Amino acid sequence: MNESRAIATLALFAVGLLGGVVVHAFLDKGPAENPYPALPKVDEPRAAHDIVAAVGADDAQALSRMLDSTMLTDLDAAIQPIVDVRTTKFVGAVESEGKLLSAYVVTGKTAEGIDFVVGFVLRVSNDQVVGVN
Amino acid sequence: MVGLKRLISGSAGTVLVGVLAGFVIASAGGIFIQDSGLFGASGESPIARTYMLALLKRDPNSIVGIRPNQSIAQRAAEIQNADTSRTTGDIQPLSLTYIGGASVGAYSVHIYAVGLRTAQGVDQFFPLALTVYGGKVRRSE
Repeated sequence: MNESRAIATLALFAVGLLGGVVVHAFLDKGPAENPYPALPKVDEPRAAHDIVAAVGADDAQALSRMLDSTMLTDLDAAIQPIVDVRTTKFVGAVESEGKLLSAYVVTGKTAEGIDFVVGFVLRVSNDQVVGVN
Repeated sequence: MVGLKRLISGSAGTVLVGVLAGFVIASAGGIFIQDSGLFGASGESPIARTYMLALLKRDPNSIVGIRPNQSIAQRAAEIQNADTSRTTGDIQPLSLTYIGGASVGAYSVHIYAVGLRTAQGVDQFFPLALTVYGGKVRRSE
């Protein structure tokens, strides 16, 4: 008797579980359709890779050789409020008429010790990083 | 009669708990799949996409619910700017590309590349990174 009751309870729970998944699938519509053309992705440019590697390695010396003071200021603004970088991740790059945008996500901690995530983009032209957003 | 009532309410409770668990599991699984890019998922947030489309269509009213609250003066200025740019037709969107994103806890970042043509016929190509938290776009830069 107890065994059949337990099986019935589990079966009801499983039915509910399935129902929950179906309800979620029904409510989760996904992003709206993009009416504009999307550009194809390209490989990560070498120059951008080197800069982000220096950020990930906390290598201020190398970074100081690769970016001018304006771009360093822009980079500082772009990764605010993170002060302690833990990870860097290349998420993709796109190109339009020779201008390349290489996008990264940085995770780390704020000055208050809170885990945070920010995104920034390096502009690349003629195999050189020419800007930070 | 009391036994039957107890049986029905107990069963309904079990199903309800199952539904809630299923919803939470599906939701968490969906976020994981989106972030990891498994099964071809782009990881793009519907909120971020809606925000970007409203920006390109210059329709600030449609994103009131998914961005931080603004003062009445800020909202009025935004509507004024959108009306002006619509009237003069000063920009023409050329492309909108979702480059990628990632999540940490409740925060997620979504990065786009936007192509525009100005009224002077100059093509512009620039990125925009959106930070989404609590169902709203908290930061756009």
